Amino acid sequence: MRIERRVERQAPFSIIVEGETLPAYPGETIAAVLIERSPTIGRTASGAARGMFCNMGTCSLCMVTLLPEGRRVRACLTPAEPGLEIGLG
Amino acid sequence: MQNADVLIVGGGLVGCATAWHLARGGAQVVLVEAGDIGMGASGQNAGSLHFQLERRFLENGEALAEQAAQTAALNRLAIDDWRRLETELGADLHVVMDGGLMVAETAEQVAILERKVARENAQGINTRLLDGDEARTLAPCLSPGILAAGFLADEGHADARSVTRAFAQAAAASGASLHSRSPVTSASRIERHFEIGFRESTVRAERLVLACGAWTPILCAKLNLHMPLYPVALQMNATERTGPRIGHLIQHVGRRLSMKQTDAGNILIGGGWPARLASDPRGAFDPAGKPVLIPASLAGNLRAAIDTAPFVETLNLIRTWTGVTAISADQLPIVGEVPSMPGCWVAGGGSAFTLGPTFARLMAQAMVGTPTPELDIVSPARFEHLNSFMG
Repeated sequence: MRIERRVERQAPFSIIVEGETLPAYPGETIAAVLIERSPTIGRTASGAARGMFCNMGTCSLCMVTLLPEGRRVRACLTPAEPGLEIGLG
Repeated sequence: MQNADVLIVGGGLVGCATAWHLARGGAQVVLVEAGDIGMGASGQNAGSLHFQLERRFLENGEALAEQAAQTAALNRLAIDDWRRLETELGADLHVVMDGGLMVAETAEQVAILERKVARENAQGINTRLLDGDEARTLAPCLSPGILAAGFLADEGHADARSVTRAFAQAAAASGASLHSRSPVTSASRIERHFEIGFRESTVRAERLVLACGAWTPILCAKLNLHMPLYPVALQMNATERTGPRIGHLIQHVGRRLSMKQTDAGNILIGGGWPARLASDPRGAFDPAGKPVLIPASLAGNLRAAIDTAPFVETLNLIRTWTGVTAISADQLPIVGEVPSMPGCWVAGGGSAFTLGPTFARLMAQAMVGTPTPELDIVSPARFEHLNSFMG
């Protein structure tokens, strides 16, 4: 999903999502990394795939868990930082 | 000029459900809604299906509690109505009726609960009194501080945002004519008819149903009638989604609290905490204005929730919203035909999510002449003295 043509980025760093090490670039939100990984970020109560919805901090449907402390944050508002570990549950 | 058998003002739960029943019975029904279907209290409330006596009826003396207990017959009908609603409407409304607990935390509250359960049992509502441990066995989310709970197996919750829309769709499918974004511009009684203007139309109908929540007294005023319904602004809250933790409707006998978990996993927290009603330039309350959140209400509501079910403290609050409903002068709903203006029916004044489908069904029955003694206790006849010089 990242725009690749005619874009210059700084050097990537790593974050961990559900145990999987993924590249992130400075300035990206956690949501940007999640979307790159898969448009599905969770499941509805009935089991259907669920993606990002409002992308602007309003709907709170993109909450993820910061590990190990367990704090819940909105992926669309929270910058990715080197070494972050995230759970989607 | 268009003719109709019944003109309904208000596209909320009661208006749309009444339209459905009447249209199914072959009546020509026109419904007008100032905004969109279900956008008022019908869609703003937190979706409780509560059949135990409400806390507000228990803290204002024995007389009111006894009077409120007389609505048990309506509650019994409403339990049956909700149990068959999804099948009848062919819609998934997230109706869950796995029981409700009204909890007590102090010895004084336990005493109120005991009197309440006795009153309900005398009226044929099968509430059971549980001690704290029994309540926690049933609902492990409850705090060790809960000393007792009234349990009623028929209580539960439904998705307030789906129910009214489903009634509206069913009404339209049965031939009712629904007009949203159509505020009433004129209302008059001409001999035995009512003439209601909206947009570029005027509809003449033999019967008029005013079911527009906090706007009902305003519509009544257009017909030179008093209706003692007063706007009330409340605030409700939703947490982030979480796994299944609360299976029941949870209420509190001594504090303002209603709590339930939605199909998606959010915990909805309400219970009658006030928001600040908007006012118009002349200083009168304005039900159309957006109410302002009261921070102390938010804090108090969440404190009651956490004291009752401590795990709620670990969740993020994602939304607090306000809504406007109406309360009557004596706290009981006002539903039925206005004696001094035959043909004019009103329905409003609270509990109209839980009791709304029943109010609608009974009004539709009463209009075709079927006796509906259950509605007697909520009839507007009790306020006729206010209309001695009106009409």
